[in-house]
Amino acid sequence: MSRIRAVIRHLLGSQETGLSLVVLLLAVALTVLAGSHVDRRTGELVNNFLNSNTLIQTATDASFFAIMAIGATVVIISGGIDLSVGAIYALSGVSMALTLRAAGPLGSGAAVALGLVVALGVGLLCGVLNGALVVGLRVHPFIVTLGTMWVLRGVAFVITHAESLLVPSALTAVTKASLGLGGGLYPVPMVCMLVMTAAGAIYLTRTVMGRHIFAFGGNLEASRFAGLRLDRIQIGVYAVSGITAGLAAFLGASFYGSSSSADGQGYELYVIAAAVVGGASLIGGKGSAVGAMLGAILIVLIRQSIRTLHFDQNYEWIVIGCAIIIAVVVDQWSTRLAARRLMRAGARTQAAA
Amino acid sequence: MIMGTVRRMSGVMVAGLAALAVTATLACGHRENAPAGAAAAKHSNKITIAMIAKSSTNPVFLAARTGAEAAAKELSARDSIDVEVQWLTPPEEDGQVQAQRIQQAVNGGADAILISCSDASKVTGAIDDAVNRGVVVMTFDSDAPQSKRFAYYGVDDMKTGQTTMAELAKLMDGKGKVAILAGNQNAPNLQKRVQGAKDEAAKYPGIQIVGTFNHIETPQDAAAEVTRVDNAYPGIQGWAMIGGWALFTRSLLSDLDPARMKIVSVDALPAQLAYVDKGITPVLLAQPVYKWGYVGVTTIVEKLHDGKQPPEIIPMDLVRVTKDNLGPWARQLKAWGFSDVPQQYLDMK
Repeated sequence: MSRIRAVIRHLLGSQETGLSLVVLLLAVALTVLAGSHVDRRTGELVNNFLNSNTLIQTATDASFFAIMAIGATVVIISGGIDLSVGAIYALSGVSMALTLRAAGPLGSGAAVALGLVVALGVGLLCGVLNGALVVGLRVHPFIVTLGTMWVLRGVAFVITHAESLLVPSALTAVTKASLGLGGGLYPVPMVCMLVMTAAGAIYLTRTVMGRHIFAFGGNLEASRFAGLRLDRIQIGVYAVSGITAGLAAFLGASFYGSSSSADGQGYELYVIAAAVVGGASLIGGKGSAVGAMLGAILIVLIRQSIRTLHFDQNYEWIVIGCAIIIAVVVDQWSTRLAARRLMRAGARTQAAA
Repeated sequence: MIMGTVRRMSGVMVAGLAALAVTATLACGHRENAPAGAAAAKHSNKITIAMIAKSSTNPVFLAARTGAEAAAKELSARDSIDVEVQWLTPPEEDGQVQAQRIQQAVNGGADAILISCSDASKVTGAIDDAVNRGVVVMTFDSDAPQSKRFAYYGVDDMKTGQTTMAELAKLMDGKGKVAILAGNQNAPNLQKRVQGAKDEAAKYPGIQIVGTFNHIETPQDAAAEVTRVDNAYPGIQGWAMIGGWALFTRSLLSDLDPARMKIVSVDALPAQLAYVDKGITPVLLAQPVYKWGYVGVTTIVEKLHDGKQPPEIIPMDLVRVTKDNLGPWARQLKAWGFSDVPQQYLDMK
């Protein structure tokens, strides 16, 4: 009984619960305000937001950002930053498309496997490169990844000659599989997002490496004295970020059927925003995979609301920018309040003693 | 415990609610003909057209929007129907975001989509899905020829490039060093225009192309690129600009010498008119961008309401703007909704 109570207390007290409530609240508001239209196929009146197509489409839109945001969160927990995820996304996608083009006709399974291996492999290589540069050059990750952002996008541009490359239809068939839902519903990216979130949560909270990342980001000196292999941790977090960008690129290029060097421009900002809105602290030591996913969903939901409610969409950047600033500022306030409460409690205990 | 929990949750809650509040505030101030509740249900005499241009920060697409809304108003009055244009253009060029907007339009109950494709291969799947779900799709400016769209309205890009270079070669008496200003290297329509310009230049043995120069599609970046190239290649005597970005600034008015340099540019927006007047750009090749929206909406309504089947390719003719027709063209731009047409050109005969 007490264990159940502890679990409930933990759930109620978690930041993810608050974020889930906000997402739910926004969804309810959208449902109420969205209006409705007659579905062409069934002739039934359907809500403009609360319908399976819009919900899965919103989750699909969020999935690419969310998967990358999980990787970005791992980096941010370690106290780093990765500005190159958008460029890794582009390079992984075009490398996959070029490899599949060079490989010629392949069976469906082989094409999907080769595409996945190439996208993940390129993402991993780029991530390791970022990590190695940060560790080897002792330069701030912001500068290193700002540089690699341009370098990697430049490589993508040079190897594609600015062409938009089609990917084999076998890949599109996999990422646009209806999984029995039918009716133009494509849940595969959403399923991948959920699986990656679960994997990210387990990695961060249930593995030794995950705990080391929190320790590294939370207190570098303590981690050093504890004998943690700091260089390996740092390279590892950028490798994870690269892999998630590679996976997102595989899903994105396959889902939309093509890849180009211009893909993913500006995505790094959405990805970092999703991680921060999801509770990751830019000074390190704090963040979660579930929060990153919810942050991505919230940002996409805000974008969706502008469309669904027929607002002037030129205000999209203002709304998202305000939401991010408010999220970070309020989070800082609450952290300071919590610290003050702890100090007061400590002082009271001392006085009582 | 409850207070503690509430305190811990408050950061995110307040942030989310604040976002909701900002959204709600905008809803009050900037809602665009939003349908509400059951009243939003589609009636047989209502046609909703989602318009997805490449970028909402590009003035040519804002003129197209003006044209689309004007056509919607006219057709609504003429045919006693309610034609609504929903503007779903992304702030920046992004094929993937356009594909998402197509899905959003379909899920939101749009009857038709009018789109200028940033990346044809990226949106073809989404266009086909939309058509499969009963939504008609028409492209303008930049086509997706492999998709199930029913019609395309725009210029022939290859021909546009050829005409640009032919006009420049004529101004330069068929000899001299020229450069091509080419915008975004990933845009297929611009790639075709560049190819057309190169093919045309090959017909003039005296014309030497020193290079094709790409840039971020903002006026400042384009003008900076022109200045950089001019400094790097002092012998350049002519520019074939397959897009008008560089001339949307005023900086080149003073930087370029009309006696040494001739420019022929696609587009003829208000900011470019001064270059014609000063003789730096004797010829502008205007795309009547307003008509992208006007003809697009008209074609869609005629198909859905009147059952007309248009040709698959609806060609748009370029308008040649020179000093001779600067006044009428300036007044045309003003009539199309451009608010920044200089008065001196409006007053010209």
